[in-house]
Amino acid sequence: MAGLLRRLRRDYFANPLDAALSITLGLLLTAALLAGLRWALSQAQWAVIQVNATLFAVGRYPLEQQWRLWLVTALLAAASGSSWGLLRALPRRDRRREAQLWPGNDRIAVAGFAALALVLPALLGLSLPLQLRWWLISALLLAARWVCGRWGQGRRGRQALRLLPLAWPCLYLFGLGLIAGGLGLIAVPPNEWGGLLLTLVQASLAILLCFPLGVLLALGRRSTLPLLRWSSVLYIEFIRGAPLITLLFLGQNILGFLLPGGVAPERVWRAALVLTLFAAAYLAEAVRAGLAAVPRGQLEAARSLGLSTAQALARVVLPQAIRTAVPAMVGQFISLLQDTTLLSLIGLLELLGSARTVMANPAFLGRNAEVYLTLAVLFWCCCAALGLGSRALERRLNPNTTA
Amino acid sequence: MMTSPPPSAAPLMIEARAVHKWYPNGFHALRGCDLRVARGEVVVIMGPSGSGKSTFLRTFNALEDFQQGSIVIDGIPLCDDLRQIDAIRREVGMVFQQFNLFPHLTVLQNLTLAPVLVRRRPRDEVEAQARRLLERVGIAEQADKFPGQLSGGQQQRVAIARSLCMEPRILLFDEPTSALDPEMVREVLDVMQTLARDGMTMVVVTHEVGFARQVAHRVVLMADGEVVEEAPPQQFFTAPAQDRSRRFLEQIL
Repeated sequence: MAGLLRRLRRDYFANPLDAALSITLGLLLTAALLAGLRWALSQAQWAVIQVNATLFAVGRYPLEQQWRLWLVTALLAAASGSSWGLLRALPRRDRRREAQLWPGNDRIAVAGFAALALVLPALLGLSLPLQLRWWLISALLLAARWVCGRWGQGRRGRQALRLLPLAWPCLYLFGLGLIAGGLGLIAVPPNEWGGLLLTLVQASLAILLCFPLGVLLALGRRSTLPLLRWSSVLYIEFIRGAPLITLLFLGQNILGFLLPGGVAPERVWRAALVLTLFAAAYLAEAVRAGLAAVPRGQLEAARSLGLSTAQALARVVLPQAIRTAVPAMVGQFISLLQDTTLLSLIGLLELLGSARTVMANPAFLGRNAEVYLTLAVLFWCCCAALGLGSRALERRLNPNTTA
Repeated sequence: MMTSPPPSAAPLMIEARAVHKWYPNGFHALRGCDLRVARGEVVVIMGPSGSGKSTFLRTFNALEDFQQGSIVIDGIPLCDDLRQIDAIRREVGMVFQQFNLFPHLTVLQNLTLAPVLVRRRPRDEVEAQARRLLERVGIAEQADKFPGQLSGGQQQRVAIARSLCMEPRILLFDEPTSALDPEMVREVLDVMQTLARDGMTMVVVTHEVGFARQVAHRVVLMADGEVVEEAPPQQFFTAPAQDRSRRFLEQIL
């Protein structure tokens, strides 16, 4: 108690200026919090969210086919849980002795996740069957985490861990196929996808595809072959000099002209293509900075051991460059995710687009604040997940920090 | 503790004739350097900084190119043919001043990377050999650590083990102890001395006079891109033939 008082005094009331600042800021924060709470609880009308929850989540995806989306979500949850468990069961080689099945920050993460999973569906006012499904999916994730954490210690786990880089792309393609349909399933054309579903499909496609393209562009920019170098520079500088929205409009118009009728991909795929090409240019600059940070001696050492240039790049230089570039790259991915809102301006009903159709409905006139706030929170959740993932990745990849 | 002299009829491992190198800016870095190294021989190259000794050494595994002259490594002429260069690099190991270990790989992975990738040997066999080599350089217990967690001397010993894991016929050392704290120089020199005694062909660029006296069969002095003098260490350090050598020795002894 006395210690708490002393800390309070030291951190907030050390001198008159500190005390004045603490009191003013404290009052302001309390006032803002109270005003926000009063608005959220008494003035705001959350019916607009509750009624349109499905529209925000998946747009006009046919109701009787939505079990496919639930299946994809469940698979993703199971895969995330098992990867998490496996990574914990088999920490990096030099940390094996300090390995813990449930390290402290994991316990906090699990508790936070469970609390969110329990409260959030109710807060959003979802119907009881939907709430039940979310709880089941959350439970699936945690169960997979627990089972793989147990089972994965030792040889079996190491084999499973080696399969992960293969399993995730397969799962991604399978999920995309399940969403799109075909091959016996009823096809759902992409122009019926919408809401968060479309946002996530666009962002994940662009993130996955821009990564290899960005790495190639970065290597091209540092190449000794003049033609390759100059075309990379030209591409990167052109894309970085143009606003994304103009490129999106350009993509919608030009691709239709350039390609013969019928061959031009659907608008959704065209937009994904433009997003990918756009993000690749920025990613290339992040990777180039990473490449520049790898000392020359690394390449020399690899070459003197007999590795070919390609082998030296793939096994020695790029892993280090990408490790350095992870924070910058994740920053790019986060802004890419937010840039998907621009798709609403070319008529795609992603999260912002479907929100605008809702707000245009006379029944929900004047409910803009509720809708935009929900959108902001949803985006924040996605970006926070990306950020957390990147920090975990950095910690695992960086051998020089002794935690 | 002198290294036993190499058999006089041993085949030549390195034969450099009249090597000239100009940098792109026109600087004449090597001015007709000659060097012949027989199998099992230990040659130490000394000289003031900027004399071209590192550059000369780095031409032996094609890390530097040259414009005139010829270099033959273990019977294979060094030329622009990339396959020849790769073949030579497999047989010639190199130890750098800055260690140049791969920081994202564990010590063991540093050793096994090239033999598995380049020589396509089975991983189990290479790992067993790597552990034996780490034991030989006295750091077997660090196999699963990352280079950043080791001291400079330990890192340089890992770098030597990494070169040895490719089973090279020649080892090049580019100022292997210059980046080390003084108390760590000994441990690295000891490993090099053991290698020399076991008959490894070595070319060493160094300022360590003690090592040159005890281990080298021959000392080469370079200055201004030229080989000034070449003599057994006894003769070189006590009665150098050239004025330039005498001036150099006055500065370092």
